[in-house]
Parts: sequence; C-alpha cells; structure tokens
Amino acid sequence: MGLEIGLGHYLTVAAILFTLGVFGIFLNRKNVIIILMSVELILLAVNLNFVAFSAALNDLQGQVFALLILTVAAAEAAIGLAILVIFYRNRGSIAVDDVNMMKG
Amino acid sequence: MSLPQFFFYVFSTIAVISALMVISSRNPVHSVLFLILVFLNASGLFLLAGAEFLALLLVVVYVGAVMVLFLFVVMMLDVDFGSMRQGILQYMPIGVVIGVIFLLELLLVAGSFVIAPQLGGVATIPIDMGVQNTRALGLVIYTRYAFLFEGAGAILLVAMIGAIVLTLRHKVNVKRQDPAIQTARRPADAMKIVKVKSGQGL
Amino acid sequence: MGSDVTSFASLAPIFPEMAIAIGAVVLLLVGVVINKERSIGISYAAIVLLLVVAALTMFQGQDGILFNGTFIADGFSRYMKALVLGGSAFALMLALPNAVEQGVHKFEYAVLVLLATLGMMMMVSANDLMTLYVGLELQSLALYVVAAIKRDDSRATEAGLKYFVLGALSSGMLLYGASMVYGFTGTTNLPAILAQITAEGRSIGLIFGLVFLLAGVAFKISAVPFHMWTPDVYEGAPTPVTALFATAPKVAAMALMVRLVSNTFAPIAHDWQQILIFLSIASMVLAAFAAIGQKSIKRLIAYSSIGHVGFALVGLSAANQGGVEGVAIYMAIYVTMTIGMFACLLSLRTENGEIENIEDFAGVAQTRPYVAAIMAVVMFSLIGMPPLAGFFAKWHVFLAAIDAQLYLLAVIGVLASAVSAFYYLRIVKLMYFDEPRQTFAAVPNELGIIMGISGFLLVTYYFTVGGALAGVAHMAAGSLF
Repeated sequence: MGLEIGLGHYLTVAAILFTLGVFGIFLNRKNVIIILMSVELILLAVNLNFVAFSAALNDLQGQVFALLILTVAAAEAAIGLAILVIFYRNRGSIAVDDVNMMKG
Repeated sequence: MSLPQFFFYVFSTIAVISALMVISSRNPVHSVLFLILVFLNASGLFLLAGAEFLALLLVVVYVGAVMVLFLFVVMMLDVDFGSMRQGILQYMPIGVVIGVIFLLELLLVAGSFVIAPQLGGVATIPIDMGVQNTRALGLVIYTRYAFLFEGAGAILLVAMIGAIVLTLRHKVNVKRQDPAIQTARRPADAMKIVKVKSGQGL
Repeated sequence: MGSDVTSFASLAPIFPEMAIAIGAVVLLLVGVVINKERSIGISYAAIVLLLVVAALTMFQGQDGILFNGTFIADGFSRYMKALVLGGSAFALMLALPNAVEQGVHKFEYAVLVLLATLGMMMMVSANDLMTLYVGLELQSLALYVVAAIKRDDSRATEAGLKYFVLGALSSGMLLYGASMVYGFTGTTNLPAILAQITAEGRSIGLIFGLVFLLAGVAFKISAVPFHMWTPDVYEGAPTPVTALFATAPKVAAMALMVRLVSNTFAPIAHDWQQILIFLSIASMVLAAFAAIGQKSIKRLIAYSSIGHVGFALVGLSAANQGGVEGVAIYMAIYVTMTIGMFACLLSLRTENGEIENIEDFAGVAQTRPYVAAIMAVVMFSLIGMPPLAGFFAKWHVFLAAIDAQLYLLAVIGVLASAVSAFYYLRIVKLMYFDEPRQTFAAVPNELGIIMGISGFLLVTYYFTVGGALAGVAHMAAGSLF
C-alpha cells in the first residue's frame, strides 16, 4: 500500500529514538535498569525503520525481520534482567558507577 | 493536514518526548511507565504503516509482558533510588554535543534516503492488499522462513535456560511437596496399628 | 512461496546444525534427569558430539543453499564451521578439570555452549541478513549467560553485565545498519544485495548501513575502537569460559565479516577497505602498547587477542582471494595457539587456586618444565617466530597486503609484532630465568594432552599440517570469489 506519510518522516522518528537510546546507554550514571530500557529503545527504533521500509518497498520481508527482532528483544530483556538480578545479589547495588571492579 | 498525517505527528511527538523522559527521569518506575508510553505510540506508528500484526504484538508482548517484567524487577530489587542522583551531569555537556552531532548525521541520511531507483516494484514478497497482514505473515514464517523460525525458537530456549540457571535457587530449609512420594505412600508406611492391652498403656 | 525442502535427504547441507540442535536438547533433557554428581558426563558427551560433527562437516559435508536462500553451505562455511566446532570442543575440554571451582560443573554449561555453537554455525552459514542476526543473537545470548554462570562470584557477574550491555548495543548498531541496507536494496538476501549493489552502485544510505553493520561485527571480534569490553570480560569470566570467548565466537564473527565484505559488499570494496585498514591498524598498535603495562595474565591475553584480530584484518583489508585465504589460515592457527595458552594457564595451580598475575609465572621451568616448554613455544608462535605456525599465519596475511599494495599496513603490522614480542618474551623470561616463588600442583591429564597437541602442531606446522591447511583454506576462500 505504500506510505501515506513520507518515508523520511518515519526514518527521522526512528533516528531520534535510536540516538536517545544510545545516549541513554552512554550518559547514564544512575542505574543499570535504565541502560536495559535504552537497549529496548534502540531495538524499537530499528523496528520502526524496518516497518517503514517494508511499507515503502511494498515488501513483507521487513515485517518478518521486525517480527524476529521483537522475539529476540524479549529474550534479551529476560537474560539482561536475570544478569542484573544476580549482580544485585552479589553487590547490593545496581548503580553504574559500581560496575567497576575491574580496571586497567 | 490529512487524518493519517495528524495521527503520525501525534504519535511520533509523544513517542519522542516519552523516550526522552525514559532516559532522563530520576525514578526508574517512571522510566518504565514512559517506556510503555513509547511502545504504545510506536504501535500507533506501526498501524499507520500497515503493519497491524506487529502493532498488536508490540502491545501484547511488550507492554503486556516485557514491561511488566521490568517493573517487577525494579520493585523486587528495592534499590534506594534517592541516593543515586549524584554525578548525573558530569558528562552531560560533552555527551549532548556528541549526541546532537550523531543525530544530525542520522537525520541527514534519513532525510536524503533514496531507495535504489531501479528497484521499481520488484519486492521479494509483495504485500497483497487482499490478504490480511497476520495471514500474510503466517503464510511466510512457517514456510519460507522456517529456518529462522526454528532459530528464534532456539533463542527463546536459551533465554529460558539462562534465566533459570542464573537466578533459580533451591532453598535447603523449605519444605517442598513431592506428589510422587505422596501418591506412592501406602497405609503401611504411615500407620501402625497397635493393640493396646487394657490397663497397661504403651 | 513453498519451501524448497522436499525430502529428508534434501536437508543434507544442514545436517551439522541439526545434529548440534538435537544434541543440545537431548543433553538438556538427560541433564535434568540424571544425578547432579554425574552432570560432568554431559560435558563429555557434548565434546564427543562437537568433534564428530566437526570431522563430518569438514570431510563429508554437502554444499547447497536451503530454505529459500536463507542458509548456505559452501567450502568457506564448512571450513569455518569445523574450526568453530573444534574450538568449542577444546574449550569445553579445558573446563573439565576443576570444573566445580570454576563454576562450570553444571550441565547447563555444556548445553549453553552447544547452543552458542549452533548460533555460530548459523552466522557462518548466513546467506541472509535475518539469518545473520538470528545466529548472532543465539550465540551472544548464550554467551552472556555463560560469562555470568559462576553466579556467586561478583567479578563473573560484573563481566556478564558488561558483556551484555555492550553486546546489546552492538547488536542494535548492526540492526540499524541492516535496516539501512534493506531499505536501499529492498532485500535481505545477501546475493540479492550483491546484485543490487552491482547494478545500482552506492548511495549514502548504503554506506551508512555498511558502517553500522561493520561496527556491530567489529564489537564481536573486539577490534579497536570497539574493544573496551574485552579486557574486563576476559578477566572477570571463569578462565575456561575466557578460553571459549577467545576462540570460537571470534572465528564465527570473523567468518561473518569475511563473507559480508569480500562477497556481499565486494562492489564497494573501496569504501570498506578504509574502515578495515583503520580497525586493523588501531587494533594492532593499541594492543601492542596496552598489553605491556598489564599485570593480570587474562588482561594480557585479552589485549593479545585484540592484536591478533588486527593482524587477521590485515589480510581481509587486502580485498583479494589471497587475503581471505590468509584470514582462514590465521584463524585456525590463532585458535590452536589460544587453546594451548589456556591449557598451560589452567594447569598452573598453586594452593591458592589458579594463578592470576604475570609475575606468578616466575620459575615455572624449574618445577614444571613441560608446561614451561609448551608455553614458550606458544609465546614464540604468538610473536611470529619462524618456523613456528604463528610465523606462517602472519606471513600469509602480510603477503596478501603487499599484493594489494598496502605497504604501510604491512610495515605497521611488522612493527606492532616487534613491540608485542616484548610482553610475550617477558613471560618466557619469567619462566626460565626467575626463581620460583611457589610450588605448582600436578598437571591434569586432559590439559597435558591438549597442551601436547597444540605444541606439536605449532612446532611441526610446516612439515605436517601446513600444506593441507593451506590447501583447504585455498578452497574455502575460492568459494567466496
């Protein structure tokens, strides 16, 4: 069906979300959960890209790719949170500044 | 401004503002709630682009399951978030500069993006308007992309094994119910019939 | 739109993957049922499975494209798969002694390694951006868990967390790149992308996509400037797990890189060549200098592996068949050296457990001459001393670079090698010329055998396996051009 709104519009929104996600990972000094949420933002931005391209190209492949990304992102969230939980059990903290035992 | 355009701007504006709040709000619970808002609006954007199935999946899987998991972990960890606010602004100025440059580059690409001109309508799997989106996806993921489907299954298996092996703890002092032992129990194991002679006690 | 799988026999090219997948599930079920004390048996079964599949893939594997072009088995993928399977098998073997102390005694460890290996095989056999992504994530997710599998150890969990966050970021970049490439070419199929690029030439969207894709893969092979996770993760993870990280996943990610640049994006070689040359020089130089100041042996190994990725990328930068051949040979020899090095490291145990610092190598030659000799061979081979295998590895990639007239790259590579000799030789010096400060426990048999194999192959490379390996690598590289 193509897009009623220009492809550029979608790509712009996705680019902003992607940047915010990357920004959230690097600038976050507070806690690791925000980093995991930033990862979700990045994956959402990518999905938006794929869906927009899929519509613009009139091709279903992009949506299949987005479907796979959704699946993987859910699995990734589960593992990330599991690692976070054991990290918290060992340290009693999830502040980013505490992820620093190893340096050199 | 047509109706789809209007909705596009509504959804995308709210999504972007909420995303900003996700990374900047001080309370992680607020972050999770804003992330839910981002996903809901992104779902609207998916709908506008004709990806109905993915739009609903985003609501059902993300808002329904993944975000609840996040919220659950935030609550479970019980971190004192008040004491975590120091030093947030330390890297802010340089970060903003780099972030803005990065964004401008991406926008430059997004704005000037051209699909290869000679492509003209030769899609690998053309979207047929006569077929519902869910059905169209179903028709390809179990046939054409069966291999990837299996791969995604393996990923979910890894996620399951991983989450269990990392976090499951068998507590030693907790009494557990073992149905097999319960059903295998015979009267002979549990009871002893004693003939008590009158006047003598046991 | 139907599937191209018509009978069971038509699945032949994918038999190796099926064997590993079924094996992983069966071992998982068996592991749940059997007694916990016997769960190390699962590791033995997994090792046997990996080795058998490696041999069958190499010598009996069938070529073909399956599942509507999402999967490809060719000479290159079979070579790399055999390497990946072998690397995983030996890394599992390294985990057998002292498994409980290292936290890798749970049967889930072997199952997760098998599933990670399955992911690596999918990466190597990817003929579609989607297969590439699914394989990469299967591998990464299993490895994030494996990094943190010693869950009561705070360094291991920190390693897992760091690996996870940076790995997830790199997947995000890779995906953003993949979406750009899809947007420009209208397809995710790699040969179709090649056809589109050949027909259409380049565009800014495509170049951007390529840059993001390469950045994502560069994270996985830990090339500078995407290497920052490597030293921390290598140091924090249990040593047998580090041995795994340093071998099989690197081979798989490198194979992915090779297939992407030298096949799919071959028409725009000029663009990616610059990126690869930068990655290569940065990796070689930074690793050579950063490793000098290290105290922890595992951090040193991390920088060493970053450097070796740089050397392998020299071959890939050449953008010719000889270069790819060089990369294939390099990865095989790199895996052999790394396994040998970790076998030595794991076998040196004092009463305080395994050694952690480079200083702890002092006087090993006096108490454990066998370990010291193999370690010295590995070190000289890592430097690239003839006639050891490491020399031929470097020789092949530098030759390819000179063929492609990348003289500066080759010169910097040789100089970086010379600088890196400093820290490798320091270990040799410590082992042979310093007084022992502690006594070492006896070497477990498994480790002794692995060391022996590695040392033998490295010393006699030129006379025994060298010719055969070069022949196979030539065939493997040929299938991409």
